Amino acid sequence: MIFTAGIDVGSTYAKAVVLADGKQVLGTAMARTGFRLPEISRRVFEEALGAAGRREDEIAYVIATGFGRHQVPFCDVAVTDLTAAARGAAFFFPQSRTVLDIGGQTMKASRIDEHFKVRSFRLNDKCAAGTGAFIEKTAQYMGYQTDEIGVLASTSKDPAPISGVCAVFAESEVINHLSLGRPPADIMQGAIVSLVGRAVQLMKRVRMEPEYTLLGGILRFPTMAVEVQRHLGCAVNLPPGDMVQFAAGVGAAFLGYRRASLPDPVAGGAGRARRAHPAGL
Amino acid sequence: MPSNRTTRTFEWPKSDPDEVLDLCRELVEDPSYPSVKRWREAGGSVVGHFQVYFPEELAHAAGLLPIKIRGAILDATHAESRFGSYLCSILKTSLELALSGKLELDMFVSHPICDAARNLAAIWGRNVDYPCQILYLPQNANSAHSIEYLTGEYARILRSLEEVAGRRVTDADVWRAIEVFNLNRALLRELYSIKRERPWLLSAEEGYLLTALAGILPRDEHNELLEWLLPLIRQRDRKRQDRIRVVFEGGFCEQPPLDLIRTIGRSCYLVDDDLLIGLRWLLEPVPTGGPPLEALAHAYLESSSYSPVQHDLRKPKEKMLLERIDRSGADAAIIGAAKMCEPGLEEQVAYTGALDQHDIPYLVTEFQETMSSFEQMELQLETFAENLLFA
Repeated sequence: MIFTAGIDVGSTYAKAVVLADGKQVLGTAMARTGFRLPEISRRVFEEALGAAGRREDEIAYVIATGFGRHQVPFCDVAVTDLTAAARGAAFFFPQSRTVLDIGGQTMKASRIDEHFKVRSFRLNDKCAAGTGAFIEKTAQYMGYQTDEIGVLASTSKDPAPISGVCAVFAESEVINHLSLGRPPADIMQGAIVSLVGRAVQLMKRVRMEPEYTLLGGILRFPTMAVEVQRHLGCAVNLPPGDMVQFAAGVGAAFLGYRRASLPDPVAGGAGRARRAHPAGL
Repeated sequence: MPSNRTTRTFEWPKSDPDEVLDLCRELVEDPSYPSVKRWREAGGSVVGHFQVYFPEELAHAAGLLPIKIRGAILDATHAESRFGSYLCSILKTSLELALSGKLELDMFVSHPICDAARNLAAIWGRNVDYPCQILYLPQNANSAHSIEYLTGEYARILRSLEEVAGRRVTDADVWRAIEVFNLNRALLRELYSIKRERPWLLSAEEGYLLTALAGILPRDEHNELLEWLLPLIRQRDRKRQDRIRVVFEGGFCEQPPLDLIRTIGRSCYLVDDDLLIGLRWLLEPVPTGGPPLEALAHAYLESSSYSPVQHDLRKPKEKMLLERIDRSGADAAIIGAAKMCEPGLEEQVAYTGALDQHDIPYLVTEFQETMSSFEQMELQLETFAENLLFA
């Protein structure tokens, strides 16, 4: 049996996944990323190992991904979030052709082919609007914690319009709505609607095709996926439970399994990358 | 003027390699050339030579400090009024170093490596009060008379160097300098063998810094540093990662910014390159004995590397690139060219044709020494590497 690990160091959360034979998730761990990326990546790795009941020396290959991927000193290789997310989406839904990954500070839409290679992608602009940070900020302006967002938004009856142009300016919009007596739930859901509007624009720009798979921590708020479905007019895939947040880590661990299945992974030798891969992987 | 050959410009903290590499980074990135300032404060004189190749042994033999001028990351405020906007950056930033007073020289030498650089010495000379010379390396490297011609050209340049140094240079002086530079090139070859054999021990950025340092330090000081540092680098305990191995081609003249080299090094192992190739131009020790200028000329033509600005029918550039890839065990090539660099951009056609023919993956890109955004480049590089790793 080949055990591999994926370490997804996101801007808000660091996640680790241990996978067996590229098929079964054995253990996961997650912690706030903070600013000591090598330390936090090591910590979540060890916690995931503990959850999986495995030792570090049993792990054949470790792939790092996420914005802090180059700060994982013990990894075998680092891959982009796009590649890891594509693989993560394919792990759960092999018919995935469009992936929307909304993280704490980035939003990425990508179109993938039948071999799960990224064919086209778009990222959000360099600002927090359209990301998890935008939703978190909106909640904080109203005095709510991040883990209350899901419940709060689900009680909304009439979402308030939020322009979503800028997470900083959104504060004044939130204050305006509050001063007009709009319920916090409607404001919260309004922010989600605004974010989804941006997300769907990104998906259109990559010439989206079904099936659609949604990933990222922000998808743990149930109204988010519902709103995307409403925009698209069709069902979307959502990895089960908290796997929405671990999907990129799963994808990284799966890619690690592919490399570990080769005769001499981490060979550092000539012609290694050009070598044909065993069929079926 | 007394010889300054034994002068040290820095007291290197030979306790921690990482601390030394930090100091290297500061020196290489500092456009005010601290090593030149210290050399001059000690009473020494300095010869600046523009890319690509210059026989630095001649300046060293005269007791002068040869400095490789490779542009800089600065605004070419003064130089922009001397050169058109359609020309490459290195010409302007190099001239800016002189015009702004950041780099004080006693002599400048350039070579007509391209149409733009052809005018550099003349423009430089009109704006400074020290001698500016053009070294005319043989246009036809395959001529039967090229060694004889180049020996004469070296003798002409040496006479100018003697005037700046205020003393005669003997054959023995040149031979002593050749020994110093033979050692330096051997050490740089050792550095590159680490890059090829154990690239995880030496990052792309560190390898570049240690090479670039040769162009700004007295060469015996650089030798001493490398002799101390290279064994320690070999002993480093660093994790080997599963990265693709790449050759970078296109850094023979204008240099990609350090951040770009760092970006390449984050996704790939940079196992060989043509960065600052002039410092490593001679591939074998210059054999001792006989007239030293002739020996240098012979080495330049007969046992040398390649670049888009030397035309030698025995060294088709695309064939040389394939050899470099093969020798270094690279998986792929990054074919770069500085913006507005005609020789570099033209050679990309031949390079990519040969790589296609041999089914070697490559990434084509352009850079500028003053560029400051690397996100797009990093994404391209990582996507390129991932496509190879997970083909």
